[in-house]
Amino acid sequence: MVNSNLNALGIIFPNSYDPLVPELVNLRLMASIPFASRYRMIDFILSSMANCGIDNISIMVNNNYHSLMDHLGSGREWDLARKNGGLNIFPPFAEKTSKPYTGRVGAMASILDFLRSQKEKYVVISDTNIAVNFDFNDMLKAHMESGADITSAYNEQEFPESLMRNTSNDKGFYYTFSIDQGRVTKIYVNAREPGIHNFGMNIHIIDRELLIDLVNTAFVRGHSYFERDIMLPQLDRLHVHAYKYEGYLARISGMKSYFDENMKLLEDENLDALFSAAPIYTKIRDDNPTRYIPGAQVQNVMVADGCIIEGTVENSILFRGVKVAKGAVVKNCILMQDTVIEADAKVEYLITDKRVTISEGKEMKGTDSFPFYIAKGHKV
Amino acid sequence: MAKEMIAMLLAGGQGSRLYALTQKLAKPAVPFGGKYRIIDFPLSNCVNSGIDTVGILTQYQPLVLNEYIGNGQPWDLDRLYGGVHVLPPYQQASGSDWYKGTANAIYQNLSFIERYDPQYVIILSGDQICKQDYSDFLKFHKEKGAEFSVAVMEVPWEEASRFGLMVADEDDRIMEFQEKPKDPKSNLASMGIYIFNWDILKKYLEEDEADPNSENDFGNNIIPNLLRDHRKMYAYHFSGYWKDVGTISSLWEANMEVLDPEHSGINLFDDDWKIYSRNSGMTGHKVSPGATVENSMITDGCRIKGTVRHSILFSGVKVEEGALVEDAVIMGGTVIKAGAAVKHCIVAENVTICENAVVGAMPSGEESGVATIGAGVTIGPDAKIGPKAMVSKNVEGGEEQW
Repeated sequence: MVNSNLNALGIIFPNSYDPLVPELVNLRLMASIPFASRYRMIDFILSSMANCGIDNISIMVNNNYHSLMDHLGSGREWDLARKNGGLNIFPPFAEKTSKPYTGRVGAMASILDFLRSQKEKYVVISDTNIAVNFDFNDMLKAHMESGADITSAYNEQEFPESLMRNTSNDKGFYYTFSIDQGRVTKIYVNAREPGIHNFGMNIHIIDRELLIDLVNTAFVRGHSYFERDIMLPQLDRLHVHAYKYEGYLARISGMKSYFDENMKLLEDENLDALFSAAPIYTKIRDDNPTRYIPGAQVQNVMVADGCIIEGTVENSILFRGVKVAKGAVVKNCILMQDTVIEADAKVEYLITDKRVTISEGKEMKGTDSFPFYIAKGHKV
Repeated sequence: MAKEMIAMLLAGGQGSRLYALTQKLAKPAVPFGGKYRIIDFPLSNCVNSGIDTVGILTQYQPLVLNEYIGNGQPWDLDRLYGGVHVLPPYQQASGSDWYKGTANAIYQNLSFIERYDPQYVIILSGDQICKQDYSDFLKFHKEKGAEFSVAVMEVPWEEASRFGLMVADEDDRIMEFQEKPKDPKSNLASMGIYIFNWDILKKYLEEDEADPNSENDFGNNIIPNLLRDHRKMYAYHFSGYWKDVGTISSLWEANMEVLDPEHSGINLFDDDWKIYSRNSGMTGHKVSPGATVENSMITDGCRIKGTVRHSILFSGVKVEEGALVEDAVIMGGTVIKAGAAVKHCIVAENVTICENAVVGAMPSGEESGVATIGAGVTIGPDAKIGPKAMVSKNVEGGEEQW
């Protein structure tokens, strides 16, 4: 394939939906939340873009982004360290009057000059709260065939319980669509009716010139949100095509869903559905293979490299460099990078952040509906 | 700017004693230790020792090795000035020739070394498993005011006659060299790792090339010539883990030793001396309900539903329900189907071992050996592969091979 480049550039919003998982983003942002034993949330959308030939990608970081900068580096792991295009990280530009971006309109308004100078015909926009192996080629094809102004991806699902429980609007907006013959006729913000919905994935394709125009106008009027302030009020004027995504996705909408979506990957079927279409890349740590020392007993686990396991581990996800000492028992846990479970400790329904230590002989138990979370670097 | 020391890594060896494993790749590219290839060890040693310029001399089946090395990025050897360079034989105005011996391989690339104008050149071998700090070796070389130094290991006296031996005085100065002698005068075996002062290396390589009777070999020609001229030659004692993995049994053994770092001394779990490799990019490995994993090393992409005991599995290996893997080295992408038994053997990359096939056997009495299955081979259902077999072609279902 000579012409491997999709005629589109990517814009990723790594801070979107941070408020849904306040514990996990205390020292990071949605994009750098560890997921599926060796990845970060952004790896999925970034790899998907790279695999589809989108090699000019802008990341609109807003706050708490040190961990993301560290993770992305030059973008080499995603094949995005390029002379032309590659990875661009745009933090809020420091001016006298500067403040963090408000919504995607503000963020994109700050890079209008950049957008004007690019050559790609289309722009692909995405958040990072959904782990998905996405085929942007297929979506772009649908966009071109429909002749729409904007194409928006959605999937059919019920609302996650954490969103239903949320009675205020202070944790950000999510969107559902009414669709008539492939065209989005109505957009609802933070709907709470039970049942299956056309749940917006906040992945859009739009003509670059049109995007510049819409963002410019909206920004001048003091608008903030792309879906709420640009798409929703102009559905009669803009042709918004609905693109139904039917593949596997893991949507992080709260601590419980973070736990569940990780655990779902213990089913081979789900793991294959998420990973088999195209490779998902991540930062390389050069860990040695995981070592099972005599005495180790493991059942139904997903384990990354660099772990040393001497105790018992069941129904759990272990990230890179986790140590489970002799006599320790780990059940239904998510142990992030370099967690240490010391000898004879017993833990159940726990989410430990990076470099947590559970001391010798300690016992900690969360429950299925409320897994305990232990913050980064803490020693119990 | 001149470099203080650059490395020349001899990676052209065919590794004929690894037969089925080296049909399509050079020995240094043979996978080792779950996620590495042999060449990762000298390359990582270089980087960890502060050497940022490495010439890799290739000749036999270089394609896998070339692709693996690429631009050297996984070892941090993608540098603006220096970095890693693969050096195959090439045509020159005066003619062209294959590398005739280890010394000739370096001789043909003198102009490569000249570009960096180093003070010292370290000659490394691409077929050893060893974690070694070459900067410590260089420090020794400088302290002794040596013109040539060789790294040596003390070996048991009864085995000494299998090695090239350095006879040295109390100051470690080399007085004599014995190549596999009947009556060893020393138990200091050469590891085939040398540091030369660049001017000395150049002088002796040019002299050696001019000698039509020379085998162009470091051990047989260059070292004797240095001794003849009473050059300042020293033996640097190395006492860490070192293994020449030139045979199937030593390769198998070295892999098994990785499982027991406390006793064997080969510790891959060393944050201060990481061994780098090109990454498989697969997800974490999975151990399913009902599976058993005991005393093993498992890496990314593995799916285990059967039983794995005392074994090393490389990336993407699948072990289906009811399959048994014991005392085995299973390289990347291999699938072991339901009910198969794979014991005391080396299985190369992308092999399929079908249902209920039996490969290898645990040693018992006279029957002992490491069965070896070459890359890409399919072993049919119910086939039997004996413990001494070396398989490089497909084996049909039900057949036996011993």
